[in-house]
Amino acid sequence: MATGLSVRVKQATPFAIDVAFDAPSGEVTALFGPSGSGKTTLLRAIAGLHRAEDISITCDRETWTDTARGIHLPAHLRPAGFVFQDYALFPHLTISEQIALSLAHRPAAGRRARVAELIAMMRLDGLGDRRPAALSGGQQQRAALARALARDPKVLLLDEPFAAVDWALRESLRHELMTLQRLLSLTTLLVTHDFEDVAKLASHLVVLERGRVTATGTVQDLTARNAVPGVTDWREPAVALDARVLAQDSTRQLTRLGATGLELEVPTVDAAVGTTVRIQLAAREVILASQRPEGLSLHNVLEAHVIAIEPATHPALRLVHLEVGTTRLLSLVTADAARKLALAPGAPVLALVKAVAVEAFA
Amino acid sequence: MVTTGRRVCRSAGLFALCYAAGTFVEPLHAAIDENAATRGTSPAVAAASDLKFALEEIVAGFSRDTGIAVRVTYGSSGNFARQIAQGAPYELFLSADESFVMQLADRGLTLDRGTLYAIGRIALYAPNESPLVPDPRLRDLIRRVRDGRSGRIAIASPEHAPYGRAAEQALRSVGLWDAIAPRLVLGENVAQAAQFAASGNADGGIIAYSLALAPPLRERGRFALLPESLHAPLRQRMALTVRASSGAQRLYEYLQLPAARAILERYGFALPED
Amino acid sequence: MDWTALGLSLRLSLVTVLLLLPAAFLLARGLAYGRWRGRGFVEALVALPLILPPTVVGYYLLVAFGRASPLGQVFESFLGHPLVFSFEGLVLASLLVNLPFAVQPMQNALAAIPPAIRDAARCCGLSPASAVRRIELPLALPGIATAAVLTFAHTLGEFGVVLMVGGSIPGETRTVSIAIYDRVQAFDQPAAAAMALVLLLIAVTALAVTNSLARRASRR
Repeated sequence: MATGLSVRVKQATPFAIDVAFDAPSGEVTALFGPSGSGKTTLLRAIAGLHRAEDISITCDRETWTDTARGIHLPAHLRPAGFVFQDYALFPHLTISEQIALSLAHRPAAGRRARVAELIAMMRLDGLGDRRPAALSGGQQQRAALARALARDPKVLLLDEPFAAVDWALRESLRHELMTLQRLLSLTTLLVTHDFEDVAKLASHLVVLERGRVTATGTVQDLTARNAVPGVTDWREPAVALDARVLAQDSTRQLTRLGATGLELEVPTVDAAVGTTVRIQLAAREVILASQRPEGLSLHNVLEAHVIAIEPATHPALRLVHLEVGTTRLLSLVTADAARKLALAPGAPVLALVKAVAVEAFA
Repeated sequence: MVTTGRRVCRSAGLFALCYAAGTFVEPLHAAIDENAATRGTSPAVAAASDLKFALEEIVAGFSRDTGIAVRVTYGSSGNFARQIAQGAPYELFLSADESFVMQLADRGLTLDRGTLYAIGRIALYAPNESPLVPDPRLRDLIRRVRDGRSGRIAIASPEHAPYGRAAEQALRSVGLWDAIAPRLVLGENVAQAAQFAASGNADGGIIAYSLALAPPLRERGRFALLPESLHAPLRQRMALTVRASSGAQRLYEYLQLPAARAILERYGFALPED
Repeated sequence: MDWTALGLSLRLSLVTVLLLLPAAFLLARGLAYGRWRGRGFVEALVALPLILPPTVVGYYLLVAFGRASPLGQVFESFLGHPLVFSFEGLVLASLLVNLPFAVQPMQNALAAIPPAIRDAARCCGLSPASAVRRIELPLALPGIATAAVLTFAHTLGEFGVVLMVGGSIPGETRTVSIAIYDRVQAFDQPAAAAMALVLLLIAVTALAVTNSLARRASRR
């Protein structure tokens, strides 16, 4: 891979890991898997905190670790920002001091200005002179992010950033991260065991289990194929994809979103025209029809054709893989319905999507 | 961070204070004490514990006359002999037993074979509150031990204290040693034995006559001088070590002058003929 | 009141703390963070002076550093006088005897720093040396202060080892605890009582300071 992060880790002790993947430049790659799958170890290896028998880490063509050639760039010299699970903020320093600490690689003259910049960027104004104990959970997380960003990192490493946070806060922090990503376009590695994080934030996915990679690919592709190992068992099939805001209709209070070959009308999404939002569409919300319906509350009638039909978790159900333009969707119907509509690979069909059914995350 | 810093400063302040105390208290006190001399020219003397009070008087007179301050350490003669052999920086050794001085002389650790400066005596001492009645023949003690009524009796350790050895010899002479052995308390040196004896925790003790005569003990109890026939003579010899400074030499000479000898006599020492 | 002895004791305590603490810090750090074999053995060695009678320590010191021993002779050629019965000998004895008092509080304080904090220090661009200076030292400060106070107070009270290794030479090795012993033997109760009171006050103060430091550390 020319730019971005290239990772290869192999070890036998303390537990077996044999992993190789690439994280594209400027995008969020999620490392997803159950606890004990080695995700945090990988993150630490990338940061230079973990050493093993066979590691190769390259970032933007710069070798950080190569055990074969005996190269190991120490952690404190790597342009990588790390946000730890419990933030690991230094209890004895103020937020400003901690951010300043991370700016040692910059000339002394501009440091104070940069600290102020980061504090403003992470909406911590007025909190710079406080110690971590005097901050709320959300503020602490933003402080940890600010400290990581102060490194001017080429790679941002987030270790289960929402694990220590309650449910209500989690959603707002996800928005925080999405905004940051839109602003900075940093190569980001997000370690998580919560698929919601993947669905809402990541564009690439590496699935890990017991130290091995069981799947890699884009989030859109893997969800559309319902092919995420360990998730398909319990999670409702749903496609996660990026769509651009094409138009805002304030009179009808609707937003028009578009992906390749696909356009949807959804209730107003708070995003400017031209920005990208993440949408999720559950398979059970997609109704199939052989003819265009009249007199329904429906806004989205999409022309599609069937790619494949596969059994679903319930014996009476079928999961239908569709393509709308070049965008893949899923639909969950009863086997009876599939027979009624004579669904078969290649057959044309109409996909009906309620505007309300589209979950938009901006 | 501020409070931590303050605490560090407080600790630093404490240390500074202690260092100041350590370095400044001495010269301050020295300035007040007109007889003080710096440590460098103040001779170090090792003296047998029986000389505790007698030597203090003699040294006070010496310092008054010469302006030289003397640092005396009291202890058991055997202990000092061992320490000097191991390089302890004493310049003058006043032993309660000549053999220790001879041993050091044989090993070349003293300037010469020294001088006999006194003949020591032992006494049976009992504090006022004790039921023991001291007498030169130890009659009450023998009776009490035989009847099983005796409390603890203090002597110096016979191993390295000459006065302890003399006490053992005396007890053996009256045939009491085996019976009394379980009741004995051994002091590290004869002054410690005297302290045990006078403290009231023991019935009494066999200690140096010179200590029994000293005011702190004489005021607190009764004693009886034991006959010389009961033990080998305590021939007390002193010698300058190879480290002796001129100050130590002057003290050595002073100890042989009439004024010093008179003090020794007052404390019950017999003086050898010149 | 033997001012010379008090001054000597204070100087001995101060010198011990100043010499011991940096070395003990490095050792404490190695024990707290190291994963090397033999770590348990070294920990036991460090704790030994807590359990051994001071006379045993004194005995082995005399054997190891006495005039007859090779080490003793090395020291003597350096110092110009024997190591035993000298202030330098007391300092050496004091350094060894106080090892657990210096190492253990610092080791506990360093071990209490969460590993994530130390990782974070490196990820913030701090070199290992800077991380020690700016993160570990400040966070372990209560433990370091406790080590200093305990070492200081313990040295002031040292008796058995000092007597065996140093003798009781006024101005050189007669510390205040030995002076008390000496004054009692001389029936000088007032002097003994005065010095004992000074030591008691220092001990109580030391404990009070240590306790308040421990409370601060647990509040963090």
